[in-house]
Amino acid sequence: MSFCLDTYLQQSEDYEILLAQSTFKKAREIIKKRAKEVIHVKPGEKILGVRIIGVPPVPIGINKDKGTIILTYTKPCNGTAAIELPVSEEDIKQIKALNID
Amino acid sequence: MKKALLLIGCPEAPAQTPMTIYTAYKLRQIGYDVTISSNPAASKLIKVSDPEKNYIQKMVNIDSFIDNLEENDFDLLVGIIHKDAAVSFFVTYYHLLNTKSMAIIFQRDQDLVDDFVEQVKENTDAEIISAKAYHNPTPVRVKVDKALKQLEGEE
Repeated sequence: MSFCLDTYLQQSEDYEILLAQSTFKKAREIIKKRAKEVIHVKPGEKILGVRIIGVPPVPIGINKDKGTIILTYTKPCNGTAAIELPVSEEDIKQIKALNID
Repeated sequence: MKKALLLIGCPEAPAQTPMTIYTAYKLRQIGYDVTISSNPAASKLIKVSDPEKNYIQKMVNIDSFIDNLEENDFDLLVGIIHKDAAVSFFVTYYHLLNTKSMAIIFQRDQDLVDDFVEQVKENTDAEIISAKAYHNPTPVRVKVDKALKQLEGEE
């Protein structure tokens, strides 16, 4: 079964919420500040099984040494969060292939 | 029949539900089959407001529906925007659908209206309708009437 971000966030505890209930602009700033590498993807691109919601440029932070990525997570009533979660090297490779920079 | 997707946000702005029902009604009058994309809280307000489905026939979940959304699935995208998250959803749906689009933006704070208008303008070619409004839908309705009349004239 493929990885699904929504299910992961409900069932796991090893992720960190860097920003909650905020705006996309602020989430973009946090990602820039907390990630060693930042790539950009198209709005609606599927990342870890979920379409990423956002306003271009849509950032994905990559901390390869920690084996984590930071992404935005938007819900209509809760605004945008920035979440750092562990991923595999293969996931990082697939995410980097979506880079539009 | 042409297909319109009406994207709505968090239902905490009182003007959203009446504007959703009203806009769907007007779109149907000018020949669109309308689907509403919303979260469960917003859809409950609509279902209670329109129990016999006189105005709203099709509703989908904003999160799951986007998974399989593809270019040209709809002829028109209309977004009701009163929060930052709604801007993000509208811009994302816009980029996936790549179709004629209209953003209906309102908030009680003019700075927020200006910010949302700016973000939509920078990232889409959508027609933008904006008004300072929150409880009272009239300032928005008047502008929606004008925009839909123009849309009808173009078709």
